[in-house]
Amino acid sequence: MESIIRAWRTAHADENGKLLASTISLTNTDLEEFAYSTNPARVAEDIFRSLEYENNSSRPKITNKTGLEAWAEVYVAYWKVAQALERHDEVEWGQVFVAMKDMTQAVIRGFQNGLWEVWQLEVLYTACKYLRYVAIRADEAKRSNGEDTWKSLEDAARIINRAFNVCLNDRAELAQSRKWGTYYIINILFKTYFKLNAITLSKNILKALVANTTEMPDLLDFRTSDVVTFKYYCGVIAFLDENYVKAEEHLEMAYQLCHKAAQKNKELILTYLIPTKLLTQRQLPSATLLKPYPLLESLFLPLAKCIKSGDLRGYDENLARGEDWFVKKRIFLTLERGRDITLRNLFRKVYLAAGDSKTRIPVDHFKAAVSWKSGVELEAEEVECYLANMIYKGYIKGYISREKGMVVLSGSNAFPGTGV
Amino acid sequence: MTTPPWRAAGGTAVQRPSFHPVSVRKNLGKSNSSNTYSTSQAPQQQQQPARRTQFPDALKAYVARTFEDCPSENKAEVEVSLKKIITDAFENETVWTIDWATHPLPAAARRQSTTTSDKMDISSGDDSSPASNTPTKNHSSNVSKGSKRKLSSRIASDKNEFTVTRPDKKYKKTNASDYSYEGPDAFKRLDKRYKRHQAKNVFSHYNAMHNALDSPAFAPIVGRATNLEKRYLRLTSAPDPDTVRPLHVLEKTLELLKSKWKAENNYSYICDQFKSLRQDLTVQHIKNDFTINVYEIHARIALEKADLGEYNQCQSQLANLYSEKIPGGHPHEFKAYRILYLLHTCNRTDMNDILASLTPAEKEDRAILHALAVRSAVAGGNFHRFFKLYLDAPNMGGYLMDSFIDRERLAALAAICRSYRPDIPFRHITEELGFENDAECEAFIVKHNAGNFIKTKESSKDDGTNKIVLETVKALPIIEAAKAVAFKKVDIKGQI
Repeated sequence: MESIIRAWRTAHADENGKLLASTISLTNTDLEEFAYSTNPARVAEDIFRSLEYENNSSRPKITNKTGLEAWAEVYVAYWKVAQALERHDEVEWGQVFVAMKDMTQAVIRGFQNGLWEVWQLEVLYTACKYLRYVAIRADEAKRSNGEDTWKSLEDAARIINRAFNVCLNDRAELAQSRKWGTYYIINILFKTYFKLNAITLSKNILKALVANTTEMPDLLDFRTSDVVTFKYYCGVIAFLDENYVKAEEHLEMAYQLCHKAAQKNKELILTYLIPTKLLTQRQLPSATLLKPYPLLESLFLPLAKCIKSGDLRGYDENLARGEDWFVKKRIFLTLERGRDITLRNLFRKVYLAAGDSKTRIPVDHFKAAVSWKSGVELEAEEVECYLANMIYKGYIKGYISREKGMVVLSGSNAFPGTGV
Repeated sequence: MTTPPWRAAGGTAVQRPSFHPVSVRKNLGKSNSSNTYSTSQAPQQQQQPARRTQFPDALKAYVARTFEDCPSENKAEVEVSLKKIITDAFENETVWTIDWATHPLPAAARRQSTTTSDKMDISSGDDSSPASNTPTKNHSSNVSKGSKRKLSSRIASDKNEFTVTRPDKKYKKTNASDYSYEGPDAFKRLDKRYKRHQAKNVFSHYNAMHNALDSPAFAPIVGRATNLEKRYLRLTSAPDPDTVRPLHVLEKTLELLKSKWKAENNYSYICDQFKSLRQDLTVQHIKNDFTINVYEIHARIALEKADLGEYNQCQSQLANLYSEKIPGGHPHEFKAYRILYLLHTCNRTDMNDILASLTPAEKEDRAILHALAVRSAVAGGNFHRFFKLYLDAPNMGGYLMDSFIDRERLAALAAICRSYRPDIPFRHITEELGFENDAECEAFIVKHNAGNFIKTKESSKDDGTNKIVLETVKALPIIEAAKAVAFKKVDIKGQI
């Protein structure tokens, strides 16, 4: 116990938030020792004594009696967590979660009552982070027993939401404001909501954030890691809302700010940025861009090649090949729209091949091209339907003359944005 | 883990100074300040001054550690070298001064022990104090603990370097030397550590089940009513067994309702009766093939009458019943309906979920394949394919497609009006948009205020046949407006 409480003192003397947070971390190397250092009957007293001892031998004293009580509450709950983790042959995650909940709530209370300062925010981060972890394990344990539940995680989300409000609604002056913790907590919340498939709840968070935006420090003044994660989630939320312009903005920023060695994060961002750019800019990822990400490379690169060359069959096949992953990532329905661009590129090739009679091309020519490239013999009506859609969406400038079975293309810029 | 020495002794920081009297005999140089920390064995030493025959606890831990990860084939070799190390230590009278916690392990055992850093962490945690005073010997896996004491000085210097607005910035660099490491892999290490506890706990499941059944709020009732028909009334209090029909009565009720539906086709009556039937099932916690049957029949009737709200309520209940693996019913048929229904509500999020949930067997089912084809036709704007699928819908899919067929027709018509010049044969629209005949098509166009643009055109070939056409340019704005209205979000009661 002493090593933990001693670290508590050192952390306070140096105002070292990370060290302080490590005293309530589940990866603390002294966790087992701590679990065995006392027993349920004595824990409250032992911890309070220990804190009091360290407090009294500090110059100046770390805190007053109320402060000690607040910390004792945290460490007693932490001891219960440690106990549940270390003193059983089989960890009962439900039990750990209950203890973890108590601890997180004790931490939140510490901030709510204004006892703790901004440098101590790391404690809140650590508590929320592990609360989420333990909740997931608790639910997993229940599910492996056949009970379909996400109850613990939902519970955890509610508590983390309180932590969010504690940060967001702090009125202290900026240098001392707990508002500095807002984005870190938001990111944990987003993560949790995504896991719960409750993405609408994330939007509520964003709304609350917008309502408070005037007193908020500028986003870029926050830790870059927080900003990147936040922007990533904003991007994905916009993406799922089919607001691709906004999504591109957020994701682009996340990608630019992302640490160059954070391979995994960049891969996550690109997973959404690539389909987004396909729609907004009709831009395809290059081989160089995809090179460092074998998974993305194997799925996106063939697709990009087919889109470029107007290879409909290849496109369909590659989309089907990656379908499971695409669907899981929720990008399938967006990537599907890439077929339009594949088709447009194919039609453009027909146009380029037509030579002199460029502006008047029989529907049959397009039909032949589509049938060849998709490997299925199509009816003329279906090809007309494709052409009509292309014209309607502005991919092609021109019109269809049904009477003559001709497509009449605009003399200039017949395929806008492609140079012809 | 063996019990750490200091724990057995019940030692705390307060007791440490008691070591002083014995330190004199150890021939220590002045520079060695470790006597205040070195420790754990202190209390025991005092009790037993005959140290020669006594092993320090740290040494015991050292021996234990040596054998912990030692492969059995190396045991003999390790034993020999260990004996030598210890004998040497006693001979040189260094046995109490050597820092056993960080002393190198015998060569044969060392190879393995360095890889299991997890365990090393714990053991070093137990007698950490000596380690902190012998930085030169610092074991590689000891970093987390060993540098703890140096932290404060480092932080002090950091503090002066960084003066920024953001409060947490100044500790940016102390991360690696923190007393408990929180790296990006923290969770992975946690997972690994508690893996052994992963075994299934049979009892918790059993308990959870029992608790759920015992709780009074969940106790199902059994009805006593015997009349077959009952008006639906939304419950505002606990159900009264006298007005609830038990299962065997409900079975007869269903037969009665089926024959009445065939004979009278009175939807408001049937819907009301089915709702009360469903209510009786719910309050009695009846979940079996009969329940599924009731919901499926009600869902189909609702579909036929285009009552999507009622249909959807049945649909969501059915989804629950199927997922509980209750035998019976037609899960594939209703999954196909669900896909079509989501097309109607334009719910892309749920559509993605349902695509993700499809099993290979489901992807072979005819109805589901049809629904998927419809989905991809709508997504790709392939109205030609879409209306063909509409005319060829299995089961009651056609009824569901009816709910959004007008909307899709307007979308298709808008594309046609924009792309065909100068006009489009009327017959072509009838065929492409899946109308039964020209009259129906005309009614549709007139209904959307574009009737004025249907014109008769003299045939250029002079064969006497006049063509009826739609003037695309003029019709376009009106069709576009109608389309925009039709695509405004659909809101349906009971939607999940």
